[in-house]
Amino acid sequence: MSRPHLLLPFVMLVPSLALAIWIIGYPVADLMRMSVHAVNRFGRVGNFVGALNFSEVLTDPLFWASFWRTVVWTVSLTFGTILISIPVAFILNQDFAGRGLTRLIVLLPWAVSATMTGIVWRWTLNGQFGMLNALLTELGLIGQPIEFLATGEVAFPVAILIGILAAVPLTVIIFLGGFSSQPSDVFDAAHIDGAGPVATFRYMTLPLIRPFINIAIVLNVIYAFNSFAIIWILTQGGPANSTDILVTYLYKVAFQYGKLAEASAMSLMMFAFLLVFCTLYARFAIRERAW
Amino acid sequence: MRKMRLFSVLSIAALAAVIAAAPASAKTQLHVIVAHFSDHTLTTFQNAAKRFEAAHPDVEINIEDVSWDNLQQRLATDIAGGTPPDVSVIATRWVLDYVQNDIAEPLDSYIKPEFRSRFYENLLKPGTVGGKTYLLPILASTRALYYNKDLYDKAGVTTVPKTWDDLRAASEKVKAKGDGAYGFGIQGKEIETDTYWYYPFWSYGGEIVENGKSGIASDAGIKAAELYRSFIEAGLSQPSPTGSNRQDIETLFKQGRLGALATGPWLRGQIKSEAPKLNYGIAPMPEGTKHLTWGGTDSMMLFKSSPNKELASKFIEEGIFSKETRLEFTLSEGFLPVLKEEMDDPRLANDASLKVFADMLPIAKFAPLMPQWEQVVATTTSALQQIYLGQADAKTALSAAAAQIDKLIAPQ
Repeated sequence: MSRPHLLLPFVMLVPSLALAIWIIGYPVADLMRMSVHAVNRFGRVGNFVGALNFSEVLTDPLFWASFWRTVVWTVSLTFGTILISIPVAFILNQDFAGRGLTRLIVLLPWAVSATMTGIVWRWTLNGQFGMLNALLTELGLIGQPIEFLATGEVAFPVAILIGILAAVPLTVIIFLGGFSSQPSDVFDAAHIDGAGPVATFRYMTLPLIRPFINIAIVLNVIYAFNSFAIIWILTQGGPANSTDILVTYLYKVAFQYGKLAEASAMSLMMFAFLLVFCTLYARFAIRERAW
Repeated sequence: MRKMRLFSVLSIAALAAVIAAAPASAKTQLHVIVAHFSDHTLTTFQNAAKRFEAAHPDVEINIEDVSWDNLQQRLATDIAGGTPPDVSVIATRWVLDYVQNDIAEPLDSYIKPEFRSRFYENLLKPGTVGGKTYLLPILASTRALYYNKDLYDKAGVTTVPKTWDDLRAASEKVKAKGDGAYGFGIQGKEIETDTYWYYPFWSYGGEIVENGKSGIASDAGIKAAELYRSFIEAGLSQPSPTGSNRQDIETLFKQGRLGALATGPWLRGQIKSEAPKLNYGIAPMPEGTKHLTWGGTDSMMLFKSSPNKELASKFIEEGIFSKETRLEFTLSEGFLPVLKEEMDDPRLANDASLKVFADMLPIAKFAPLMPQWEQVVATTTSALQQIYLGQADAKTALSAAAAQIDKLIAPQ
């Protein structure tokens, strides 16, 4: 056998690399160009303006309010999803009658787009005609219907709960993969050594699925950060911008206000933020093999 | 083998069809985009195109309908990509952007005085910029007060509210005796939240722009916002208006759970098909110190980039604004006519409820054309939502919004 060709792996990377550059590289390059020029509503690129668009965005109080709300949204969505998904996946991994059907029911919502989820919940939560209010009134729990989407204080947490619900199926699949790839012999050994279920879960299961938790965190952070449909459909970021996250505000700036240059600057910052997060996370958490 | 032969015969036939179709493209093509007003819109304009093509055999017209949600973005993309249509429907308030970017063609050289005089004159005003006519209105709408006759009877309201104070008194009675019905619907969410507040704002003498500055924090603005706030606080409106968009309050009205609301002529059609038993009346918009109402138009625009402007303007006049097309449009969409001759048709002339709206055309006030309009709307809406939620009093919220708007609209 001759030595494997040194160049061959790189040559084989070329097609996918070219595709990636075409799909990701070109739009990013275009965004960079627009972010340092004046651009009118119709996308016509005008004079070079330097960092003006960036400073406009950074001095916009609504941008910062949306930014901090995005952090809350992303962190709560990610941790909420993982907290729910681990026990759900753990149970679905046990052997019980009807497991196939239960798995199907848990995973089925994944087939429903976030847009449809949003529309269904918008109707369910409606103060005057919504199912949820009808149910709560029927049960005698509330005397007055609750307008779930009328104030930011209620609407935003509600949106987070719905976001978690939409993210659980995929995360459960990730953890199911984790649980089913666990070697059974070490668990048998622990059982013989007298480890109880709690100790087993805490000291064996959790460490073993840690790489899967890492993947779930990265995927959910990216998903939540860019998640537009649920908030847009429920509240359009309102009332009074109290539920705007960066993507919904970005949409308004770009397509309602027609400020394409500022929107380009904003989306570049969001892209950079996500990129830095994922790189740092990959460096510190996923590469660390100390478990 | 047989299959092979069949296949080659088919492909030759297909090729022949392509070749045969080629001369068809020698016809002059017009690309027209219309907004999707209803499921009948496309048919109306396709019928107009067919009649025009029959009269001009060398012309081929492609009509495309695009939903309102996508229209602005779609046109922007087409313009940026160098493939704009020849003619398109646009929301009249967008006109400044199209004029400032040299995209709209002034129509004055194409429309003869006879054609121009067929329109209600004040409907041409919103599409006029710098003395030039850029837009022709294809529909008009005004807003009026819908009231539930059964609820008003039950509550002992004997006269239809004429002023905002009357409306409050009537709403109090509905609240007291209406079996859980709400007095007056207030919109506080999504598109036209600001419009709903212009009704009292304008009637108290307010102006959206005064001497180049925002006028929303004027006495009229504060009075109008406090009026709505007082409805909300006293439980005379549906609870938490910031959770209700236009469809939500219209649904409440259709369900018979709302004493009154202000909206446009389209609700008549919806009630007819969805709640035919609802016993309701339509009255002019309540008065403050002035009697006026909100007026709006959507319009046809000719693109400067069109290679066939002469022909396109001919299609506008003979196709889109033929009496036949106009009647089909007005009757199927339920908006107000824009040509005086439309009211000669008995189906429109004898429609009493349409008449309430049409009678208000002369007192209809149009939102001013101003740059950054969408952002001005967003800022105003945000301030109103804070007031409706009780997070800020009317003066504070409106003054802050006005200061922001001043910055937006200041000449740069």
